Amino acid sequence: MHSAPSWPQLAWLLALLAVGFLLPHALPQYFLYLGNFLMMFAVLGMGLDLLLGWAGQFAFAHVAFFGVGVYGTALLQIRLGVPFVIGMPLAALLAGAIGLAIGFPATRLRVVYLALATFAFAEAAQWVFNSWDKVTNGPNGLRIAAPSIFGYRVGTDQTAFPIMATILAAMIASTLFLTTSKFGRAMCAIRDSEHVASASGIDVRGTKAWTFAISAVYAGVAGGMYTLFQSFVNPEVFGFNQIVLLLSMLVVGGLGTVPGVLIGVVLLGLFRR
Amino acid sequence: MTVSSIRRAPAAMAMAMALLFMGPNAQAADPGITDTEITIGLFAPMSGPLASFGLDPLQAAKMWYEEANKRGGIHGRKIKVVIEDDKCNANEVVAIVKKLVTVDETFIVHGGSCTAAAVAAQEFVTREKVPHVMLNASGDGAVIPPTRYVFGAFAGTQRTVGATLAEFAVKELKAKRIAVIAHDDDYGVANSATLKAVATSLGAQVAAIEMISPRITDVTAPLLNVRAANPDVIVSTAYPGPAVLIAQKYGEFAMMKTPLAQAIQGIPVPAAFAKNVDNDAALTNFYYGSPLNDLTEGPKQQKWLAMYKQYYPDRTPSAFMTYGLPSAMAITRALEKAGRDLTRENFIDAMETLDFDTGVVAGPITFAKNRRDGNRASIFVKFDGKAHTLMPGVYFWDGKIGM
Amino acid sequence: MSPVFLQGIVGGVVTGCVYALIALSLVIVYKSSDVINFAGGEMVMAGGYLGMFALLWLQLPYTLIFPFAAVVIFIVGALFDRIVLTRVVDHSVPGQSVLVAMIIGTVGLSYVLKGAVRIIPYTEEVRRLPPFSSGAPIFIGPVVLQHQDIAIVVAALIIMCSLWIFFGFTIVGKALRAVSQNPRAAALVGIPVRRMSMIAWGIAAALAGVAGVLLAPKLLLTPDMGAIVILALAAAIIGGFVSLPGCIAGGILLGIAQNLIGIYVHSRAISLAPFLVIMFVLLVRPQGLFAGKFQARRV
Repeated sequence: MHSAPSWPQLAWLLALLAVGFLLPHALPQYFLYLGNFLMMFAVLGMGLDLLLGWAGQFAFAHVAFFGVGVYGTALLQIRLGVPFVIGMPLAALLAGAIGLAIGFPATRLRVVYLALATFAFAEAAQWVFNSWDKVTNGPNGLRIAAPSIFGYRVGTDQTAFPIMATILAAMIASTLFLTTSKFGRAMCAIRDSEHVASASGIDVRGTKAWTFAISAVYAGVAGGMYTLFQSFVNPEVFGFNQIVLLLSMLVVGGLGTVPGVLIGVVLLGLFRR
Repeated sequence: MTVSSIRRAPAAMAMAMALLFMGPNAQAADPGITDTEITIGLFAPMSGPLASFGLDPLQAAKMWYEEANKRGGIHGRKIKVVIEDDKCNANEVVAIVKKLVTVDETFIVHGGSCTAAAVAAQEFVTREKVPHVMLNASGDGAVIPPTRYVFGAFAGTQRTVGATLAEFAVKELKAKRIAVIAHDDDYGVANSATLKAVATSLGAQVAAIEMISPRITDVTAPLLNVRAANPDVIVSTAYPGPAVLIAQKYGEFAMMKTPLAQAIQGIPVPAAFAKNVDNDAALTNFYYGSPLNDLTEGPKQQKWLAMYKQYYPDRTPSAFMTYGLPSAMAITRALEKAGRDLTRENFIDAMETLDFDTGVVAGPITFAKNRRDGNRASIFVKFDGKAHTLMPGVYFWDGKIGM
Repeated sequence: MSPVFLQGIVGGVVTGCVYALIALSLVIVYKSSDVINFAGGEMVMAGGYLGMFALLWLQLPYTLIFPFAAVVIFIVGALFDRIVLTRVVDHSVPGQSVLVAMIIGTVGLSYVLKGAVRIIPYTEEVRRLPPFSSGAPIFIGPVVLQHQDIAIVVAALIIMCSLWIFFGFTIVGKALRAVSQNPRAAALVGIPVRRMSMIAWGIAAALAGVAGVLLAPKLLLTPDMGAIVILALAAAIIGGFVSLPGCIAGGILLGIAQNLIGIYVHSRAISLAPFLVIMFVLLVRPQGLFAGKFQARRV
């Protein structure tokens, strides 16, 4: 059972969509670029928050899944001509599958070991992005061709902005849906005490692993969003600094709530400017 | 009249500025030009670990613009500069270039000391048709293949670094077997590939290529592999830290009868390098390359050092300071050539005609319709830990091999 | 056996001792506060710079720069625990977020240390601390050893023996072990738990600082030196993260493995080795290669 989003929440989502479609006509490209960046980080942050704030799992692998999303979406388009509307979900699902595969063994581990194993995974993933020249073009980076969505070319900040806002709204809605569902309550229970959760009949390992997978899907979606408004990616984007930045955003804004994540993203994202 | 300001404009101020530019001088064909001023957006890493690659070159470029302003500007217009710190980060560069172009509305953007970062902005400047002249970045990915709006490699591309090292090893050091140590990042991949291509074309064989991480702390394995390959010359394009480790290990393994040649990126300050290696015996057969026309403190470089001291008396410049000058010189020359009736397009046309000696780097800065890497020359220096000896000749990459 | 292989092994043992020393520091912190000290690498770096400062500016004789660096970093570590970590613990919400916040605290400390060192313009260039002992390299058969290498191995042995004596036979050491096994019971018996935690952090920090002075001649001083912490983490994990001898074995194994991978596989793969080791050990055999069966430590 889950509760539908409340009226205030729906209103916020509609406002977001309106802003998304109206703002590009009013602001110079630089501010739209900042906005796109923040929206992408918001999706990334919400995904990590599901894992960290809701399920209480301290994992560093998020940026690796982000990388899978970026490279996956971009390569599907460049090498195989797969359009964005199919490519991004595919890349996100791939990220989710890897997340699930990592999730099952990883969730046996206690907090700090989980942090370490996932950190090592993120670094190993970055090594792969850097060294698998034939596929990712390695350290020289990959040029991303402008995707088109149903014939509408999206490559500039102006054209990308409404699409980004739409995707963000969809992800916020799904977060609200998820966290008010039975699965969401299971995540909370695990965060508060695994033993009590297990005693109440929750499949702790399964829930943890699926949380991993879902948060990886979010990261993959954020990766797809990257390709909408950026024209270039190199492995440096997925390094340790990015992990630290994400974590800071969550800690500053507040773990466990959607507004908290959004505030943290905006504060820290703008502070760097 | 003002030459520069560093701006972190909040939205309101930025809007006001945009409105100002749209005022009475909006008749100018392109943004950033008024009757009395040309506005240039200038950026480089000014903080963080790579500040020594960016801060002094940026200040040298600014200095060159002020010199031009002192002489009355260019066709009656003085150069005004907007400065940003890119922290050598691709995302920062994209954000900064977008801000400079769409908020500050500069005429051109001039900047970039780190290649990956500089390349990131290429698609945007091409789409918006804004000329981007790099500062001292190699910029391989953005200038080869050449595209209309991006000019770079004023200190040479990594291809030039690799090619000239190969030429030097084969022609001067008579190598038949070469061992290469390079990093596994974008610089290393580019310079080692060209090194191999040029060496092969000259009839030499590359006996080993060791690709190491820029963060490596123990070079035992790579040096063992190099030693086992039995080369006539060892060539390294490593960065300062690993370059010292390599020279140390090379000394420890007593490999000095095989000459070691190091690219400039690993030895910005030879005296510090020698001190860190702490083993002059290891440097008895050691050479390094440089894109300049003389030793860093040599007679040909003195006038620039003196000029810098005038402008920034409290700062001891890093070894890369003069690298900022050729790009600024190219810009002022092109602005002159383009004439009073200045647009972005005829600025680019003027840039394409440039072929001049800067008095800073080893070879001329040359551009053409289909050439965007300005400098293809390098000199070499023998260094024994105390004395530098300029090796004869200037070495060039022909621009074709290893493309 | 080929000389290349032998050199790889010997070199691996030396660098392994280095990783082991830093790993010891990490494990001591872990056993005391259940936290992974992500600032361990920066403590090593700070120790190295302090050593250079003492040698070049304070003109201390070389043997004294070890205690100098050790004492200063001891204070840094102890203060960090007392001021930052206890505050984090006091303000925490029940649940695992305490550890999260503490770990983020150590990440913060690493940035603070790095920033503090970077501010000094002296650190813009790569520097080198002169080695403790220098001289012509020593040849054992086809294998080359530097004096500094031997100094590192000897120092590592001395430190390990001292720690063994300290933890096994001194009151403070035994008190620390008591706290790490069961803080509640230790408090009941009258051991000042908070002060013990401070001491543990101080010792671990001092260890890292001394490792920095030992390493700096070999590795070069840069503000980014701290990245070596990942290798120390891998070493500690191989050893099971709970035993000190495990660290040593883990460190040496890792050092040798890195060299052999570099020689026989590909130089490019060297940087991947520690991450593969960490993932493999944690996901397949979390108790490390040396501990017994996997046991839950606390309810």
